[in-house]
Amino acid sequence: VNSATPQSATDNLKLEAPWRERLFPNNEWVLLVVLAVECGVFGVTGGNFLTAGNAFEVTRLAVEVGLLALALTPIIITGGIDLSVGSMMGLAAVVMGALWRDAHLPMAAAVFVALLVGVLGGALNAVMITRLKFPPLIVTLGTFSLFRGAAEGLTRGIENYSGFSPQFLFLGQGYVGGLVPTQLFILLAAAAACWWWLQRTTYGRGLYAIGFSAEGARYAGLPVARRLAFVYVLSGLASSLAAVVYVAHLGQAKSDAGTGYELMAITAVVLGGASIFGGRGTVLGTVLGLFAIVILQNGLRLSAQPAELAGILTGALLVSTIILDRLSRRAQARTRAPQRAEEELEVRNSQVATLSAVILAAALIVAGSNWLLVRSLRQGTSATGGAASQQNSAAPQGTMSGHKPVIAMMPKAKGDPYFISCKQGADEAAKELGVELLWDGPTDLDPAKQNEVVEAWITRGVDAIAVSVENKVAISTVLRKAKEKGIKVVTWDADSERDARDFLVNQATPQGIGYTLTDEAARIMGGKGDFAIITASLSAANQNEWIKYIKERLASKYPDMKLVAIQPSEGDRDRAFAETQTVLKVYPDVKLVMAIAAPAVPGAAEAVKQSGRADVKVTGLSLPNMCKPYVKDGVIDSIVLWNTVDLGYLTVYAADALATGALKRGDSKLAAGRLGQIEVADDEVRLGAPFVFNKENIDRFNF
Amino acid sequence: MKLARYKRELSAALAYAALLALVGVVAPSFFSGANLRDLALNNAPVLLVATGMTLVILVGEIDISVGSQFAVCMVAAGWLAKSGVPVLLLPFCVVALGALMGALNGFLVGVLRLPSIIVTLAMLTAWRDALRWVTAGAWVQNLPANFQWFGLGQTAGRWLIVAVALIVLALFAWVLRNVGVGRALYAVGSDAEAARLAGIEPRAVVFGVFVLMGALTGLAALLNAVRFDVVPSNAGAGLELQAVAAVVVGGTAITGGRGTLLGTLVGAALLGTIGTGLTFMGVNPFWERAIQGAIILAALASDVALDRLRIGDFGLRIKEAK
Repeated sequence: VNSATPQSATDNLKLEAPWRERLFPNNEWVLLVVLAVECGVFGVTGGNFLTAGNAFEVTRLAVEVGLLALALTPIIITGGIDLSVGSMMGLAAVVMGALWRDAHLPMAAAVFVALLVGVLGGALNAVMITRLKFPPLIVTLGTFSLFRGAAEGLTRGIENYSGFSPQFLFLGQGYVGGLVPTQLFILLAAAAACWWWLQRTTYGRGLYAIGFSAEGARYAGLPVARRLAFVYVLSGLASSLAAVVYVAHLGQAKSDAGTGYELMAITAVVLGGASIFGGRGTVLGTVLGLFAIVILQNGLRLSAQPAELAGILTGALLVSTIILDRLSRRAQARTRAPQRAEEELEVRNSQVATLSAVILAAALIVAGSNWLLVRSLRQGTSATGGAASQQNSAAPQGTMSGHKPVIAMMPKAKGDPYFISCKQGADEAAKELGVELLWDGPTDLDPAKQNEVVEAWITRGVDAIAVSVENKVAISTVLRKAKEKGIKVVTWDADSERDARDFLVNQATPQGIGYTLTDEAARIMGGKGDFAIITASLSAANQNEWIKYIKERLASKYPDMKLVAIQPSEGDRDRAFAETQTVLKVYPDVKLVMAIAAPAVPGAAEAVKQSGRADVKVTGLSLPNMCKPYVKDGVIDSIVLWNTVDLGYLTVYAADALATGALKRGDSKLAAGRLGQIEVADDEVRLGAPFVFNKENIDRFNF
Repeated sequence: MKLARYKRELSAALAYAALLALVGVVAPSFFSGANLRDLALNNAPVLLVATGMTLVILVGEIDISVGSQFAVCMVAAGWLAKSGVPVLLLPFCVVALGALMGALNGFLVGVLRLPSIIVTLAMLTAWRDALRWVTAGAWVQNLPANFQWFGLGQTAGRWLIVAVALIVLALFAWVLRNVGVGRALYAVGSDAEAARLAGIEPRAVVFGVFVLMGALTGLAALLNAVRFDVVPSNAGAGLELQAVAAVVVGGTAITGGRGTLLGTLVGAALLGTIGTGLTFMGVNPFWERAIQGAIILAALASDVALDRLRIGDFGLRIKEAK
C-alpha cells in the first residue's frame, strides 16, 4: 500500500496497484469531485456558466498562472520553492516591451531576449541555491523583490508598452477555429511535455528521489546540484513565457505584470496533491488544482456572488484538501498490510465526511449570501416605497415589458473608499430606476482582473457595462468585444480608448485634476517655495498622468515653485505617514505636501500634525469624510475632488438611458434624476469641474 | 571568543554598520534625534511581529498569514473602541483575538500536523478577503478621543509603544536563552523526534508558538492603530515578508533550531532603515525595492563565508513528523 507514492512506480507497481492509485497517486480524484460540484452549483446559480464559450474563456484566464504552476511542480517535487515567478513576469514583460518599442527589435527577437532574461533570472536563483547552498525560500524571497524592483527601476514605473502588432496579439486574444483561445495550445503543450518529462523519464523520476532525500539521491549517483539548477532555470523560462502570453493577452507590457501570481500558482500545485516537503506531486493534480481555483472565481462572478468569497473558499478548499490527504495517509499507515478491504473503507469514510463538510460549507455560504442579497433587494424596494415607484413609472424603461435592465458596474478596486462612495450613488440611482445593479471589480492590484470581470459579464449577458478603467489598452480589447455582442458600454472615472465605448461619464480630465491641484498648491504657498508629492504606487497610471500635468503647469505658470520629491505610499495610510515624516526631515524647506491618493492624504496630514510643523500644509486628492478632522484642525488646507456619490449616480443613469435607447450620440442633454439636466457633449456626459473642499464647505458632504 | 557564538548575527550587524556609515557620510542629518525616534516608532509593530516570527521559524515552521491577521486586529481594535470598550481593556481584547487566530493556525499545524506554509497561505487569503467582505473597505472613523496614544498624549504614547516592543523582545530573548520552555523551541526545531524522546511534546510547543505569534500580531496591530485616530481596513499588506526577511537577515536558520532574537532586532533595524536611509541619500525611490532585494541577498552571501550549510539542506527541509 505504501507503494502508492510515485517514486516506486516500477513495473511491479504497474501490475499490482489498482488503476485509481496509478492515475491518482495523491488522491487527485477528489479534485474531480470538487470540479463536478463547482460545475453543478454554478450551472444552477450562474448565468450562461455551462456553455462551450465560457468553458474556453475560463481556460484563457488559466494559461499564465497555469504556466507558472507547471514550472513550480518540479520545484516543489524536489522540496524547493520559487517565489520569484510573478516578479520575473514583470521583468520579462518590460524588457520585451522596451526592446520592441525603443530598440526597434523585431517582435520575435524581443520575445527571444525576454525568454533569455527569464533563463538568466532562473540561473541566478539556481546558482545561489545549488552553489551557495541557500534555502530556496530565502533566495527567491530576495529575487522576488529584486526582479520586481528592477522592472520598476527600468521603466521608472511609468512606461506602458503597447501598440503591438495584431499577429502578436493573436497569441493572447485570438481564437483558433473561432472558439478555442490560441494560448490554450501553449498550456496544453507545456502540460503534456511536463507530464512526460516528470513522470515518464528517468530524469524526472530523479527529481522525486531528490525530493525524498537529496543526500540519498546523491549516494544513488544523481547529480543533485545540476538537476536542481535545471528546474530553477526552467522556472525562469516558464515565467518569461507566461509574461509573453500575458502581454499578448492584455496588449500591454508594464512593470506590474503578474503581481501576486506566485501565490495562486503555489495554491494550484498544493491543491493538486503535491507535498511542500518534496517527493510528491503530479502534473495532472496541478492542472486539476488550477481549474478548481479558476472555475471557482469564474463561477462566483457569473452567479454575481461577492468576489471576496473566492479567497475564503480557496483557503477553505486548500486546508480541507490537505486535512483529507493527511487523514487518508494516516489511515493507510495504520493498517499496513493485511486488512485491505477494511482500510479502504476507512479511507473512504473519512474522505467522504470531509468532502461533504466542505461542500456543505460552500453551499451554506452561497445560500446565505443569496438570502442576504434577496433581503437587501426587498428592503430596498420597500424602503423607497411610493415615491420610488412613481419615479419608476416615469423613468424611460418600457422598451422591453417586464425585463429589468441589468447594469454591470466596475470600480478600479473594490475596497477603495473612493469607489465605495461612488457605489453609494450608484445604488441610489439603481433603486430609483428599478434596474438590477451588479457591482464587481478587482480586490487586489492585478491589472488583468478587470478583463476577467468584463469577460464574465459578457458571458453572463448584461444590458450595459460601466467601467472605471485601470489599464486603458488592456481593457479596450474586451470592451470592443462587449460592444460587438450588443452590450452598451460606458466608461466612468477613467476612460478607455475612444472607440471601445459608447459614452464616457467624465468627472474631470487628468489635465483638469493636475491643473487644479497645482493652482491650489500655488494659492496655499503664495506661488513660491518647495513642495513634495506623495503618490500611490510608483507604477500607478492615473497618478503618473496627473504628475505629468502638474509638472506642465509648474513649468508654464509657477516658475518659483519647486517639486523636490515624489515618494510612493502604495495606497497605504501608514506608509504615507512614514514617507511624509522622512520628506519633512530630508527637505526641511518643504512648505506643502501634496498627497494624490485617497488614503495618503490623512496619512500625510497625521505626519505633519505629529511633527508639530505649523508652517507645513497638506493638500491633495481625497474623500471629505476621511480628511474632515484634519481640515478642521487646519493641517489640511483644502482637498480637491468631485462629488463621488453623484458620479456613481450619474453613471447608472447614463448606462440605463443608453440601454433603453434614451441616450444617443448627438444628444445634448441627459435627464439624470435629482441631478436634473446634465450636459452631454459628443460622446461625453459631463459631471462638472473638480470641486475644492475646505473648512467652510466640508460639513455639507458625507462620503 | 564570545563573539564566535554570535557570528550569524554578526554578518547582519556588519551590513547594518556599513549602511549607517554610508548614510552618515552622505547625509549626516539622518542621525537627528527626531528621525531616530520616528524610525523606532514606525518599526516597532514590525519588530513585534518579527519577534513572534522568530519563535515560529525557530521551531521549523513559518507563518505568512500575519499581515492579514494584523489588518483584522486593527479593525477589531477600532470597532471595540467605538463600541465603548474602555481603553484599558483594549489590549486584552485585541491580544486575545490575535491569540485566537494564532490558535487556529496552531491547531492545524501543531495538532493536525499540516504544513505551515500551506495552512498560513490559506489563512492569508481567507482573512484578507473576509475582512474586505465585512468592512466593504470602509475605514473605522470617529473613534473616542482617548483612542489615540491610549489617551496619554503624543510624547508619552510614543515612548510607551517603543518601550513595549523592546521589553517584549527582551523578555522573549531572555526566556529563549535561560528558561526550559525557551530551550524546548530549539530542541523541537532541531529535531522534533529527538525532542519528543527527551520528554518534550512537539505538538504542544508548536501550538503554543503559533498562539504567541497571533498574540504578538494582535499587540503589534493595537500599538500601530493607536498612533492614529482613524483605522484603515487595508493595513498590513506585505507585513509577512518584512517580518520573515528581518528574521532571516538576522541570522535565524529558516530550517529551524538556530537563531536569536538579538539577530532579529538587528535584521529589523537593517531592513527598517534602508528605505528611509535611501531617501536621505537622495536615491530615486524607483530603485528602492531592487536595492532592498539586493541587500537581503548580500546579507545572506556574507553569511555563507561564515557558515556553510550541509548538502542535505536543500529546500524546506522541515522534518515531517510521523
